Amino acid sequence: MHVTSNNGVLYQDAIIAYKAVAERILVNPNVSASFTSDLLKAYHPDYLQNACGLLRVGGNRDAQCHHQLVDALQSHSHLKPADITNMPVTETDILVIGGGGAGCAAALTAAQQGSEVILATKLRLGDSNTVMAEGGIQASINKGDSPQQHFDDILSSANQPVNKQLVADLVMDAPDVLLWLIEQGMQFDLDDHGNMCTRRAGGASQSRVVFCRDYTGLELMRVLKESIRNSQVDVWNYAPAIELTTDSKGQCTGAVLLSLEDNQYTLVKARSVILATGGLGRMHLNNFPTSNHLGATGDGLVLAYRIGARLRDLETFQYHPSGLIFPASMQGVMVTEGIRSSGAYLLNAQGQRFIDELESRDIVSAAIIKECRQGRGVQVSDDLSGVWLDTPGLELRSPGILNQRFPKLIAAAKNAGIDPRYKPLLIYPTLHYQNGGAVIDQHGQSTVKGLYCVGEVSGGIHGKNRLMGNSLLEIISFGRKAGQHAALSSPSTQHGEAGISHLIHFNAELQQAQIPLEKKSPVLFPEYTKFEIGCDFRGSEKI
Amino acid sequence: MNTPVVNSVNVTINGKSLTVPKALSVVQALWLGGYPRIESLGCLEGVCGSCRVLVRRAGSAVVSTELACQLLVEEGLDVSFLPYTDTQPRTYQLGCPISLSSVLETFTQTFPEAAKCRHCGGCDNSCPKGITVESAITLATAGDYQTAGEMFLECVLCELCETACPEFITPAQIGTFSRKVTTLLSRRPSNLIHRIEALAHQQFKVDIDR
Amino acid sequence: MTDPDLNQVLLNPKCCTKKAVLPWLNGWGGKGLLNAVNAPENIIKTIKEAHLLGLGGSGFPTYIKWQSVADNVAPDKYLICNGNEDEPGTFKDRVLLEQTPFQLIEGATIAAIACGINHVVFYINPHLENAIQVVSNALKEWQSSDIYARVLQTLDVTISYTIVKSNGIYIGGEETAVIQTIEGKFPFPTGKPPYPTEQGVYGSPTLINNIETLCNVPHIMRNGAQWFYNLGRNDSAGTKLYTISGDVESPGVYELPMGISLSELIDKYGSGMLHQTRLKSVITGGPSNSMLTAKDLDVSLDFTSLESRGASLGTGAMIVISDADHIVQSISEYVNFFAGASCGQCPPCKTGTYFLAQIIAKIDSNKATYADLEQLTDLCRILPGSGKCHLVDGAVKLVKSSLNHFKDEYEKLLIKRE
Repeated sequence: MHVTSNNGVLYQDAIIAYKAVAERILVNPNVSASFTSDLLKAYHPDYLQNACGLLRVGGNRDAQCHHQLVDALQSHSHLKPADITNMPVTETDILVIGGGGAGCAAALTAAQQGSEVILATKLRLGDSNTVMAEGGIQASINKGDSPQQHFDDILSSANQPVNKQLVADLVMDAPDVLLWLIEQGMQFDLDDHGNMCTRRAGGASQSRVVFCRDYTGLELMRVLKESIRNSQVDVWNYAPAIELTTDSKGQCTGAVLLSLEDNQYTLVKARSVILATGGLGRMHLNNFPTSNHLGATGDGLVLAYRIGARLRDLETFQYHPSGLIFPASMQGVMVTEGIRSSGAYLLNAQGQRFIDELESRDIVSAAIIKECRQGRGVQVSDDLSGVWLDTPGLELRSPGILNQRFPKLIAAAKNAGIDPRYKPLLIYPTLHYQNGGAVIDQHGQSTVKGLYCVGEVSGGIHGKNRLMGNSLLEIISFGRKAGQHAALSSPSTQHGEAGISHLIHFNAELQQAQIPLEKKSPVLFPEYTKFEIGCDFRGSEKI
Repeated sequence: MNTPVVNSVNVTINGKSLTVPKALSVVQALWLGGYPRIESLGCLEGVCGSCRVLVRRAGSAVVSTELACQLLVEEGLDVSFLPYTDTQPRTYQLGCPISLSSVLETFTQTFPEAAKCRHCGGCDNSCPKGITVESAITLATAGDYQTAGEMFLECVLCELCETACPEFITPAQIGTFSRKVTTLLSRRPSNLIHRIEALAHQQFKVDIDR
Repeated sequence: MTDPDLNQVLLNPKCCTKKAVLPWLNGWGGKGLLNAVNAPENIIKTIKEAHLLGLGGSGFPTYIKWQSVADNVAPDKYLICNGNEDEPGTFKDRVLLEQTPFQLIEGATIAAIACGINHVVFYINPHLENAIQVVSNALKEWQSSDIYARVLQTLDVTISYTIVKSNGIYIGGEETAVIQTIEGKFPFPTGKPPYPTEQGVYGSPTLINNIETLCNVPHIMRNGAQWFYNLGRNDSAGTKLYTISGDVESPGVYELPMGISLSELIDKYGSGMLHQTRLKSVITGGPSNSMLTAKDLDVSLDFTSLESRGASLGTGAMIVISDADHIVQSISEYVNFFAGASCGQCPPCKTGTYFLAQIIAKIDSNKATYADLEQLTDLCRILPGSGKCHLVDGAVKLVKSSLNHFKDEYEKLLIKRE
């Protein structure tokens, strides 16, 4: 695991020294551009020496990329071209790979247009990062706010060029996304006048994140699962994609799915494939703990890259400032930014605030890492330290707010034996979100015909730093767009031949780069699960 | 005599004996022990409802149903994973426009067993989130979808209540249904509606080159 | 040619008078009752010496329960004659109720006298419509008979008789569930202690006995403990109604000396295996018990002998499975029964039996792997003892026993991995 520091104040001493106080002033808040730039360069994990390397194969050859991702992208397929000759074949109009918010939105929209849809997911429908999301969804719905301001916020936090058209489409679509979700049955917290409540995301200029307590992702996923169940979408659980298929023109024509239940392959031919495979937190980049679910291993990036899709922004990843670091069994588990939106402070071991808590996530994370490295963290083990998320202070200021607005946090803390109303939580940045990904157009189409990429697996919107609430927005907005576009363009496409001869070219490049044959991807699950393709996924036999 | 500090515990998971460090979850313990389990695991933080287990603690005859990712190892813990089930859910169409009477009719057609609850308390006893399922079902059957739905706020759709019901009621799905109809019958937030109208009248646009 | 061992007492034609009281009283009826009335203080001693055991499945010495109720002083006491009988493979109590109501009524009356009970309840499964009719009419006859009037007058007691229909489900036969039903509630078992003999119906001391157990009482009081003891084989006492079903030529209820051998029951009375099939297994005592195989054909069918072979006499039901049957399919039927019979109070029982049934069905349809079989075994390991009653224990016992003897039949159905 990532070593944070070993020179902080011991937990047992720090917790005794801690006193709950309602108001604390941030002394010398420094918000100059040079300060934040220096802070990021010195402490943000994106800038760690040797964090990145150059890709030597594929469409993004010579681009900077995190070295663990380089390994995954520069790997052999599990299949050889001959493997697919005797595979059972299923045909459909649209194959959606991924059962989170983006996959469900795409599948539902396509099915509504009359397409035949298979939704294949590595785990079960709904097992995703979406279900774990807490903070909410951004949309400029209040008086005094506008899509332009939403757009400007995204650009200023992005810290690097983005696809401005995608961002503009996203912010303009936001209110309609909310309406669509309400029509699916999703509940949001309302004020006494029946207006949707909003809170401010770190780095945003306006309060525009709507939410359902701190269970926004759970509420969203529940509702979409129910919609899928009431639709004609055919759901295949425990069916990860191992390889995409292409025709002689290089167009995407389907995928090879592996059934984890019986280790059998199926070739699914589709007129369009929509990849909605989410993020890669379980690759634990830079040995960080992660907030992500078990299946977040970047499979979609690997599959898309091998058939020639271009990717972007592969050297930057989001570390969410408030990942729990204590107790050990909950390391990496995210605490919503929403709690800082409500006013909770971050305190070092001396009980001092050290950063504006609603700065953008990259800045707050870097600031926390700095505190710990410079000996002002709370030491919880030899290698691990963190800072306080001052929930008792918040409770003093707004009595009852934790029970009212943050039931998920209350339940999680209770499981850790902590009452957050009286005891602060110990946090440290956790690997949270893949900022970049597959290059897409306004309809979610990748650079490979027949392949759409939507949600976290796609890139071009968030730059170096995603704001709270823009991911849940993106997955629905682009999920629907891709579903719609694929459904309307599909009938005119014939089922192409579905082969994996694209591997011939890719393998040649791998050979030239001297990548050993044993290096295979997608990995499917993190190495500590001891999982290997072909084993019994119920874990009955010891590896 | 000095008693050594015990930092590891002996547990049984799926019939396999393991000695693992304290302070791990059952899932972490299983992996550490070398068993490549993937089935029934998901978010690993208690919101996806997949990791359902039977649990018996040392010295007790009681067996409870819990979520493995939230369960910490302790000496003598005995855990057995319940199989993953690809449940066939009830399907229904709510109709457009929706009305309370059409909802009541759909409810009775889709969930006819709900009225036959025998009040055994099995659903309450099996819910890992502490939801008072039985009362919520009584409310939903009586047509109070709003209150019933609110009680299911923290439901993670683990569906333990469904296998626990001797009358074959599907409480988790009734919870989702209740929340959904509450929204459809009543939620029209004004700030959102105003903004959507304004957008429809092209009152806003984004200048991407600013 | 009459078989001297068959239907000697309870199913003797002399007892099968249905609702006619006079033939009963002119035959064997009334003598035991009069003996009881003349020396009520000796009744329990006689039952003890006769070695009468609970014949509804427990095998528990009857006199102990009677003594406990007799010792508890209370203004009201109850006797429940348990005729719920809702288990596959057992239909002996039904026969007794429909054919021989008076030996039951007389037995119940003697029990009431012995224990100071004033409320006698006949608790009958509503599916047994005919039995309810017969008992109802028989009670009318009984209550207008001289002997009944004489009992009440001589002993200066009141004994009332009521018929209560059960819910018609399996769990309604469990003792604490019986009490719930009598009190007008759903038959949810409540766990023991408290024991019904101390705190039963409306908190009063309550004796719950099986129909067959009570039917033996007037004969014991008529002919004495030694006579009853001598009826049994070896060290067993009395006769037993064995219900034999499954793959035999003559399934049915046969009253035979307690301790008859399994092979004799199957070959002589069951007329042997069906259509030249061979014996594969016998589920002894009813489906919530263990299985025996061909090597146990010599076992004496009494409580102790069967226990020593890891099995149980239970209700005396013997379900015969031949080599024409698939064990997994047979077990599947019974586990489905248990899964449907769970009252729902205890999640490990309801959910546990649900998954036992689901895994077995998966195995039976060739969709399971070795990991599923392991999971089944693990459920059998963790579930016992987790419920307020023994339903889940019974289901597990059967599954475990089938895995013990017939694992190969399960394994044959599994999908093999390369």
